Amino acid sequence: MANYGIIVDLNRCTGCMTCVIACKQENLTRPSVWWNKILELESETLDRITYLRHACMHCEDPPCLTACSHEAIYQRPDGIVLIDHEKCEGVGDCADACPYGAIDINSAADYFPDHKLPFEEEPEPHRRHPPGKAGTCTLCVHRIEAGQEPVCVAGCPSKAMIFGDLDDPNSSIGKKLGKSVPLLSSEGTRPKVRYICNENLLKMIERRIRKNPKMVRS
Amino acid sequence: MTDMTESKISSPLDKKDAMAGDDTIGYTFCDGCNQAPFCGIKFFKKEDIVTCIENWPGFPAAPLCTKAYATLQRLYHPDRLKYPLKRISPKGSPTPEFARITWDEAYDIIVGHLNRIKKDYGPHAVFFYVGDPKEPRAAVQRLAATYGSANYGTESSTACRRAAMLAELLTYGFPTLGDLPSEKTRVMLIWGTNPAYSGRPYMIHGKLAEAKERGLKFIVVDPRNTPTAATLADIHLKPRPATTAALAAGIMHVIFKEGLHDNEFCENWIHGIDELKNYVKDFTPERVEKISWVPAEKIIEAARLYASQGPGGMLLGPQGTIHDLNATNNHRAILMIPAICGYIDIPGGITKPTEPLEGMAPWFDGPPKFSMREKLIEMKAHRLDRKEFPAWAEKFWEVQTNYLVEWIKAGKVKAFLAWGFSTMIWPQTHEYQQAIASLEFSMAVDYFYRPWTHDYVDMVLPAAMNFERLAPFAVFGRQIFGRTPIKPQGECKEDWQIALEIGTRLGYPEIFFNADVEAACNDILGMWGITYDDLRNNQETGITIPPQGPELFKKYETGKMRLDGKPGFATPSAKIEAVSLVLEKHGYPALCEYKEPMAVTRDYPLILISGSRVPYITHSKWREDAPWLFELQRHALLTIHPQDAAKRNIERGDDVILKTPYGQMTVTAKPTILVPAGIVGVEHGWKDANVNELIPRQFDPISGFPPFKEIICEVVKT
Repeated sequence: MANYGIIVDLNRCTGCMTCVIACKQENLTRPSVWWNKILELESETLDRITYLRHACMHCEDPPCLTACSHEAIYQRPDGIVLIDHEKCEGVGDCADACPYGAIDINSAADYFPDHKLPFEEEPEPHRRHPPGKAGTCTLCVHRIEAGQEPVCVAGCPSKAMIFGDLDDPNSSIGKKLGKSVPLLSSEGTRPKVRYICNENLLKMIERRIRKNPKMVRS
Repeated sequence: MTDMTESKISSPLDKKDAMAGDDTIGYTFCDGCNQAPFCGIKFFKKEDIVTCIENWPGFPAAPLCTKAYATLQRLYHPDRLKYPLKRISPKGSPTPEFARITWDEAYDIIVGHLNRIKKDYGPHAVFFYVGDPKEPRAAVQRLAATYGSANYGTESSTACRRAAMLAELLTYGFPTLGDLPSEKTRVMLIWGTNPAYSGRPYMIHGKLAEAKERGLKFIVVDPRNTPTAATLADIHLKPRPATTAALAAGIMHVIFKEGLHDNEFCENWIHGIDELKNYVKDFTPERVEKISWVPAEKIIEAARLYASQGPGGMLLGPQGTIHDLNATNNHRAILMIPAICGYIDIPGGITKPTEPLEGMAPWFDGPPKFSMREKLIEMKAHRLDRKEFPAWAEKFWEVQTNYLVEWIKAGKVKAFLAWGFSTMIWPQTHEYQQAIASLEFSMAVDYFYRPWTHDYVDMVLPAAMNFERLAPFAVFGRQIFGRTPIKPQGECKEDWQIALEIGTRLGYPEIFFNADVEAACNDILGMWGITYDDLRNNQETGITIPPQGPELFKKYETGKMRLDGKPGFATPSAKIEAVSLVLEKHGYPALCEYKEPMAVTRDYPLILISGSRVPYITHSKWREDAPWLFELQRHALLTIHPQDAAKRNIERGDDVILKTPYGQMTVTAKPTILVPAGIVGVEHGWKDANVNELIPRQFDPISGFPPFKEIICEVVKT
């Protein structure tokens, strides 16, 4: 059984937003919902800006799953954490429970109000986002099942992300596992999206996520 | 595999209830950053509806960035222009009105004006212009040449690539912004460009990051804390804008002083080497620190690293170093650094391709025969720019457009036919808007109605987008790729089609292939013995025209650098020219001299860098064109160092007034260490905050380029 995860190398991420828009195009999420986010972190002391690709951590112990009173969140045997829209009532307990701020409740907004683009007319299931339901990164499970990587990983121009089976020591992700760290490990969620970054940066990132996990560009 | 089966059962995202109908596959190129044609898009479609896009496997320009993904949303944007429009209200009126007309009516009007103007004023009074995308340049040159006008210009000959190219042609005799590092390269000089976001123009950061991991050293020169500098730089030099030639002189001073230069190459292959050595003698690191703000010890460190750890490569920007009043000589000064190190045309250095595809030039220029280059050059006596910019006019057939206002006022231009143009490219934009509005006829081809431009023209024609275009095909080195267009929305036509139809209706059906775009492409492809059908039959892999021989180096020794086969470089002296004989002939400073930029004052204590890029915007495009991108940033941002912001009591998100001696505007502040103290930055091309209104109509005397990255300014909280 695979145990899927992603390692993000922050020495490579440039904040180019390709993952953000590749994800938009793949999953057609609604306005102001970003399953892939880029957080900017500035250190005046180091005179350095770090860009952080941030999304659902597909935790081994997902607090969202236990927080949901409708059993709408489940974990697949390969570790991917998904929300079942049939069961979701949009209460938002999951969003409150997620220490990473990775879950949003879908709005009813469209990019073109009252105007569906042709490719939006009869969307595939992974491109449907009913208003009022919770949504978050699915790790592009529809692509994984077709033998492809998540679109953010496949599209990253800087090759800052590695996807694969964390349990396979011979995989490219397995080889980098030892160099990577989880975010907010104190929360005990055991996230499977991990980062390559130094200790000081890790602390700065954790402060930023606790303070505001939103993507703020301006 | 069993886990896949299990997981499928548990997934609500099972594809079994996906919509009926099989996907088919198509291929096109991205035009998002105005390269012609660029990164490869593979798309999926149901019938003729594009549903999803991804990277074209194995395509040379890759990978896709935000803009390419957003071409999907742009394609079906409800506000797209879908029909030809004719103005029915006076030009420049606050509520411009247009009426839908047929293509026949549009062509009748255009051809009527073209014939009348030719009769009344002569053909050179019609100015042909290609802005963004660059794709129709070959077809529009053919149209200008056949109609008989010498006055053809582009955005490149206004404010983009050409000034750097002019410096390259004057100095090296061949155009180059440098190459990606090869296995042999040991040190890279990246100057005035941010390849993490733009500039090659495809996304090459991944390749540079790999080179860094294998031990290559990087020197990045950029005033800003770009992600390129943050992720790659071993040494990051942050010069004061427009002091390029002084910093380059400081680096060369150290290289010569410490004997790190390639003496044999300098003596044999550099014209004016003694003058250069003599000139840089005064540029001690200490003096250069005062001029450029770069610490002396960093100048020394960079010079030593670059000159002693060869071979060294370079990556320069097409605009970063040429937007000031010493543009050409500033850029020439950078080019002399690898030259004195002997890094020219050696493995791992700065190379000229040995076997470029015969008969081709990048679409940026257009293949010479098809583009009727000879005819355009024959008419050069009628070029409007030849007196103001003689060195430019000697090197390029494209007219430098920045004096368009004066030419229109003097009655020298009566009509303006443009594909994809934006008035916001020009400094003091309103002067160009008014001039264009005063023309007897003007026409613009575009995807959307752009008020800052189309409010001032007589006719707007709807252009087919990348998924809907056949021409041009793509050429990378000796590889050629075609595309598989879908039917255009509404009555949109591709740029080439419009140019060919105008030419045909002007009475030249044979020259314009009876307006058959594929026939026009086949005319070019015939040079290599292939047709568009051959491209279709080799759709994903493209066709490679084999070279005559292997890649060669030091071609200046063997005569393969020059058309006449003589040894040396393609310059008047047959050497790399530290002293340019072309500049000398025309009375310019012939050495790559430093010129002190505009000095800050008490009223204007900051320096403005405009025109630097974010990856999801190019020029005045995008934004509302694709809401996915607009959502990332909805208005112009002024980047200002936190210390400069604090002094002015400015916080993130505040509205502030940015003012220069030439104009002012309101913009949203973003305090950030992206810019150093003393410098602020604003992107160009925002219709409600057009920074080019704050830039004077002053020009580099050699290239005619405006000072987008030199002007003094102040920021005040509103």
